[in-house]
Order: sequence, then C-alpha cells, then structure tokens
Amino acid sequence: MLRPDPSNRPRARFQVFRVPFLIAVALAIAFGGGIWSTLVALDATVGFGAIKLGPWEAFPDAQTSKADPYAKSHRANAGKLLYASAEGLVFTAAVDSTGARLSGDCTYRLSGHTPPARFWTLFPTRPGGAPPSITSDLPTALNSRTVLRQPDGNFTVDISASARPGNWLAVSAGQPFRLTLTLFDTPTAGSSGLVDLSMPSIVKTGCGNA
Amino acid sequence: MLRSFAFKLALAIATGLIGAALLHLVIVLSLPYFSERDAYTRVLAKGERHRFYPLAEKPDQAGLAKDDPFLEVAVCSFDIGSGPIRVMAPGNVPFWSLAVYDGASNEVFSINDRTSVGGMLDVVIATPVQLTLLRKSLPEPIAESILVETQAAEGYIVLRSMVPQPSFAAPARQFLAQATCAPFEWRARNQF
Repeated sequence: MLRPDPSNRPRARFQVFRVPFLIAVALAIAFGGGIWSTLVALDATVGFGAIKLGPWEAFPDAQTSKADPYAKSHRANAGKLLYASAEGLVFTAAVDSTGARLSGDCTYRLSGHTPPARFWTLFPTRPGGAPPSITSDLPTALNSRTVLRQPDGNFTVDISASARPGNWLAVSAGQPFRLTLTLFDTPTAGSSGLVDLSMPSIVKTGCGNA
Repeated sequence: MLRSFAFKLALAIATGLIGAALLHLVIVLSLPYFSERDAYTRVLAKGERHRFYPLAEKPDQAGLAKDDPFLEVAVCSFDIGSGPIRVMAPGNVPFWSLAVYDGASNEVFSINDRTSVGGMLDVVIATPVQLTLLRKSLPEPIAESILVETQAAEGYIVLRSMVPQPSFAAPARQFLAQATCAPFEWRARNQF
C-alpha cells in the first residue's frame, strides 16, 4: 500500500487507530442496534397474527404453542397471565375509527354491538398502564351486565374526561389512552370466520370543551 | 486514501447492521428460555406449589396483578412429575374459567363453567403415563373428573371468576379461596 507522505505525523497516528475504530463502529452498531431493535419490536406489538376489526386488534393465538417467536418472546418478557381459548379474547384499540390516536382531550362515542359472548368488559387504560380499580370514584370500567342498552340491544358509551349522561367512561384529560374490550366465553376465539364479526365503532364527537 | 477509508467505514457499518440483525434474532428466539419475568417464574415466586394464590389489583412482589377489574383471579403452580393433581372448587358463581399452561406459558387446556360437566370444576391433570395407569382402574372419587393429559410435568393454572357487580365479589372470592389443586391418592394399594 502506498503511503502518501511518511512525514505527515497526524495521519500516521490516525492510521494506527483506523482498524480499532472500524471494529468499534461495527460492534457498537451490532450491539446497540440489535438490543434497541429487539426492545422496540417487543414493546411495539404482541406479535404477528393479529385480528384487526376496525380500530380493534386481538391476538387469539398469542397464548398457544403456535404463537410466532415474537409473540412468545413478548409474553415471556411481559409476564402476563393470558386468556386461554375457552376463557376469553382481548381486543384493544389505541386509535378511533378514522385511525387517529385516542386522546383524553377529546370525547369519543363507542356504539354498535359486540361479537357473541357471554360477558364482556370494557375499560380505558393509559398505554402500558394498569387496569382501573373497581373501587374508583369515577366510572372507569363497564361490563355487559352494567351497561345501559337501547331497546334493540345495542349500546353507546361516551368516553370523555368530563361527565356524560348515559354510559360514561372517565379518562384523564390530556393523556393518550387505549381501550380494552375483553369478550369472555366467546366463539370468536376459536372461529376462523372472523371477517364477519362486527365490533363497536369508536367515533370522535369533539375535542376540548366542545 | 480517504476514499478507501470511506469504503471501509461503509463496510464496518454494513457488518454492524448484519450483526445487529443476527443479535436481534438471537435475543428474540432465546428470550423465552432465559426470561426472569415470564408468567411461570412469577407464579412460582408466589410460594409453594399445589395451592391457589389469589391476585390483587396492585402488582405483588412477583409482578402479578389482576388484568381486569371485573374478575377475581387465582394462580397455582404444579409439578406432576411424582403424581397427578386434581383441581376442584365448590360453589356456584356466574362464570368461572380455568386455564392450564406449561412452563413456557403455552396453553395446554382450558375450560369454563359452560363447557364443564354440570358447571362443576373437577379436573385431573396427569402425564400420558399416569393417565394410562389411571384409566386402567379409575379410582372412584375421580370417576367423573375431566382427565387432562399434558406432556410437560411442570406448569401453572389460572382460575378466574367473574364479579360483574360488587355484590358478586364475596362468592367469587370464596370460590377461589376454596379451590384446591393438590395431589391425590391415585394408585390403589393392591396395584403393588
């Protein structure tokens, strides 16, 4: 290899550190990138194989041995007690029916009906937060026995930081939230005809004090 | 000179990215085997095996908590290496469900009050060998139990009971408090 100028001392010194520098770059990218991408991937999703029904998302196979490696890794890291297929199926929604993130600054109306299930529960949580306490002073959770229904069996739930008549779920103002709808003893978990299922829609009715 | 260095730097970055992808795969694939935070480790941390521990709303030391405000939940870890166990709970609650998981948190079996016999919770969990022995001469007490076969000797059980309104809480808690998941006398003496 031709050296341009042997008397150029800074460059000679630079050349000494060139190979260790390149190795350090490669190792830093490998370890930093590998660990970071894994953390992001395990945090972002429960895995592949989600059922998507409008804004709602469920993972019916996450607790089985058929789950993909990401789902298995996620559940080993999260350490949650998942629902088995005869127990229930958890749907979560982080966005409304138009795809915009759910925010505590806005008021949403959840309406329609759920897929067939013996019992369901609905509550908002902060992203990654704990489920609400049943002893809370505000109505933070509803279930199929306590919800007020219309004569045809449908129901509407207003999700807002301020009080609403009818079914009201309280959220914290100014904070994003996600909704969890759990269907218990539902044929949905074992069914393959999931496309026909209808989930309630989540429509934004206003923001701020409007 | 500079150009060759830029090329080598690009090569180093490319090597790093390939290494990152490999490390990503290695971590994702091996995490279930090394995780200290998985559900089975947390259930084991609740205490001795073969008894149900109710969960509270707040996460306990092991990090387990109820996932739904309208459910009461109890967990039990089991090891059927030395003999099968029987899961029973008396009482009448509007909804209960039972899930059996192996040590890797894969679902082995699940049942709820509608799919069980007469709404009663009475399940025997055994390995295939134990089940063969059991079927040869089914002991009288478990003649009507649901027999569940599992390849994995170790695992945990989750029992849930519904509390749609506060007045259902007392029976639901009592149902979970009276639930047992313990070994039983499964081999008649005259077999030896």
